[in-house]
Amino acid sequence: MCGLAGLYAYHYAANPIDLAELRAIRDHMAARGPDGEGEWQSTDGRVGFGHRRLAIIDLSDRAAQPMASADGKTVIVFNGEIYNYRSLRSGLEAKGYVFRTQSDTEVLLQLYASKGAAMVRDLRGMFAFGLWDGDKQGLLLARDPYGIKPLYYADDGWTLRFASQVKALVAGRRAGLDPDPAGWAGFFLFGNVPEPYTIYRDIRAVPAGSTLWIDRRGLHQPERYFSIPQVFAEAERSATKPDAQSRIRAALIDSVRHHLVSDVPVGLFLSSGVDSGALLGLMRDVGHDDVHAITLRYEEFRGRHDDEAPLAAVVARQYGAKHTIRTVTQEEFRADLPKIFTAMDQPTIDGINTWFVAKAAREQGLKAAISGLGGDELVGGYPSFNDIPRWVRWMRWSACVPFAGEAFRRAVSAVNDLVPLAHPKIAGFLKYARTYAGAYLLRRGVFMPWELPDLMDRKFIREGLRRLDPVRHIASILKPEPRTAWGKVAALESSLYLRNQLLRDTDWASMAHSLEVRVPFVDASLLRAVATDFAGLPPAAGKRLLAAAPSAAVPDQIVTRAKTGFSTPIERWLKDDERIRGWQQVPRLRPQNCPWARRWAYQVARP
Amino acid sequence: MNALALVTDAFGSSGGIAQYNRDLVAALAEIPGANRIIVLPRLGDGNGGALPRGVRQLKAQGNRLSYSLTALRAAVTLGPFDFVFCGHLHLAPLAALLAAGLGVPFWLQLHGYEAWDDMKRAERWSAERAKLITSVSRYTRRRFLSLAGVDPSCVGVLPNTVDAGFGPGAKSDVLLDRFCLRGKRVLLTVSRLDPNERRKGHDRVIAALPAIVTAVPDVVYLIAGHGADRTRLEVLAQSLGVANNVVFAGSVAPDELPQLYRLADLFVMPSTQEGFGIVFLEAAASGLRAIGGNADGSIDALADGAIGVAIDPNDSEALVRAIVNGLEGGGPDPSGVGRFRFENFSGHVRDLVNGHLLPAAGAAGTAGVAP
Repeated sequence: MCGLAGLYAYHYAANPIDLAELRAIRDHMAARGPDGEGEWQSTDGRVGFGHRRLAIIDLSDRAAQPMASADGKTVIVFNGEIYNYRSLRSGLEAKGYVFRTQSDTEVLLQLYASKGAAMVRDLRGMFAFGLWDGDKQGLLLARDPYGIKPLYYADDGWTLRFASQVKALVAGRRAGLDPDPAGWAGFFLFGNVPEPYTIYRDIRAVPAGSTLWIDRRGLHQPERYFSIPQVFAEAERSATKPDAQSRIRAALIDSVRHHLVSDVPVGLFLSSGVDSGALLGLMRDVGHDDVHAITLRYEEFRGRHDDEAPLAAVVARQYGAKHTIRTVTQEEFRADLPKIFTAMDQPTIDGINTWFVAKAAREQGLKAAISGLGGDELVGGYPSFNDIPRWVRWMRWSACVPFAGEAFRRAVSAVNDLVPLAHPKIAGFLKYARTYAGAYLLRRGVFMPWELPDLMDRKFIREGLRRLDPVRHIASILKPEPRTAWGKVAALESSLYLRNQLLRDTDWASMAHSLEVRVPFVDASLLRAVATDFAGLPPAAGKRLLAAAPSAAVPDQIVTRAKTGFSTPIERWLKDDERIRGWQQVPRLRPQNCPWARRWAYQVARP
Repeated sequence: MNALALVTDAFGSSGGIAQYNRDLVAALAEIPGANRIIVLPRLGDGNGGALPRGVRQLKAQGNRLSYSLTALRAAVTLGPFDFVFCGHLHLAPLAALLAAGLGVPFWLQLHGYEAWDDMKRAERWSAERAKLITSVSRYTRRRFLSLAGVDPSCVGVLPNTVDAGFGPGAKSDVLLDRFCLRGKRVLLTVSRLDPNERRKGHDRVIAALPAIVTAVPDVVYLIAGHGADRTRLEVLAQSLGVANNVVFAGSVAPDELPQLYRLADLFVMPSTQEGFGIVFLEAAASGLRAIGGNADGSIDALADGAIGVAIDPNDSEALVRAIVNGLEGGGPDPSGVGRFRFENFSGHVRDLVNGHLLPAAGAAGTAGVAP
């Protein structure tokens, strides 16, 4: 778990790389890797890698990075964890490969020697890496199936730069910083910047589940090696297998066991929900019985139903975990706000919870922690699993009435602009709700497309909407398209909200505290095993299956509690803190019933 | 490999874009398997001397309609083609339609300010459909990407190359006498003097001359190139009292140009309108130290300061400092210009064609097939 950086002057006209730039990019990520730093440069000065290390597996200096193969021809910088590295290593040793370290990084080098870029298909874990192939004189960038670990690149036509964070590339001062209208439009629509866009036109994300090859010719097209909708589509084609409960348990046990591979203690973020509770039970089941669980409590919530602490304590007691409840006050938020904006790699409306819980975990001496992220996408825990298919069913007829959607939208918006009675999304219902992509935009959208010109320069944002084409962007996720409604929604949630919001925010907010977060529910092997087992179940039933997975089930009072999600008192802080009250100048954000996410999005765009 | 090239001008024309297109067509003709390259220009007499093997240049068609009809006829009767090369953004709509009709990819080349500011809707539409876009410089690439919603990884950079005829050598006595330059230190700019292209920076250099003369009294600013803006520049030099330090060389024949560069001690062109600035390459190849702007494609020709000094063109003090320093022998060694030799250019063209445009394109993939 680290920060990686690299430069490759691939074009014949480019100057050799500048080590000072490489170090500036690398050292912007000091918090990602406080345990060590390293750099490597090719003898011709055309390629260089930099690395900041957070040591989790093989703590020795031999495992430092960048790491070169024995013959020096292949060099890697890697961020993440390969949970199946021991079995991969045994397989390679059986073929005669000789290892010098105990690290998972070296396994990547040897696996590449054995299989080339197709190696990514064998990896189980979360990863982003850059690998220089001296024989082929090319650079391979790769990212894990779900996109847990970030990887960004900037190409100016002569030199390619890559790093774990957008802001690190900015710190190098050579990447182009023209704003990307598509990235900004995406932020206001979704509350996060949808990959591959960033807020800078010249900086892009390596797509999740993809590799990118760069040689003297320049960038090749990214190649996708893993597709979430494809897993659903394939699972739907195969016959339903009996005994879901035992298969779910076996697959979860397998994922949790893999996610505990570590040479340092691994803690747990514990909420009052089923997901983290089930993980705690499963951790116990695989023999991890000295778990340190961390729960966040907001002072404002104390004694209310959204106070996580009392029920989390019940779960911790049941499974015999060491439990730390960390209280966050408004004063602490006030003090941390500038640091949060600095650490926030790209604008986002989430990540505050992770910021504080990661901070608490680090205070407790942890370097790594398990999180229940991704549970809702797996079991269908979001309202979208019900709402979207229902809306699409209701509105299917509207396809037969051309222009009705836009006419309705204009009429309702016009009325609403005068007297803000209805939620702005109502105006878009007829226009969007008849397709899965449109309905998803309605369900998850923070702002609606026609509201954006009030928030940024009109010409800029119109161009952004043209380039992003939000409904088409969402629809492009569903290739191949799962047959069932459940599969479609699960694929959309996992490929958009989970990837661009939850996982990305978890990365920056935890790495700012030098804490590695592991997510056993976000695992390609697990998804393949249980893809259709939760399909079509109402959310409560899915959660019950999950709660029953540990040998000692999650307590009933957790399962029956209404879902609150991780919430923060940010709605109130937005009224109290003068630094984030600029939204009060925007008529669209002033109405009493304006959701806090809209105000916060507006503030985040202007830190 | 067969290609149809729609260009503004190529063989038998002068100017930077024509030179670029000739180099590109020559590079295409060198690709193993290159069979037939049909070039259709808007301008030029087509009497460009010997064409590279396999290249045929059709008669120029200045009229837009006749150009389109000729292109259509060439596409149908002179094919089959593997791809369409489009040498100018203004020709992109036609190229996109022809390529779509033929079912082949098209390659769009961007030069300079045609791709910097507002773009016509049809041009943007067609640019967004190109399989490959190359830009002469990183600067033009950046400006273009701000106008068109194209995946940046589809837009490469293919810089100008410099003719092997430019090289260091002794100063020509004939030219020294013609321009009365004996015993002088010579500052040189080579460019058209077009009233519509006043951002080349002649004004800035003339305005800096009084300060330069103070430090280097024997300096002469030699302005090569013809155009209607000359009178204005003469008046400017007079008004600043430096008319005696400015020499207008007028139009220079292509075969005299290498010798002209050798006359100079320093090349300067603080322009803000260069797509690339091939004259920097010609100067550097002639062994001249060079000074240019850092706010346009010049920064590529100067290789971020590795080949010549790149200054803020609006910073007059920096310009004076750089010129005085350059006349005294300071500044980067121009030999780094070797990177722009034709072999590198043609090798890159070959890689681009094989990688993006020919049927095996993409076979160098990664995850599916090991690279």
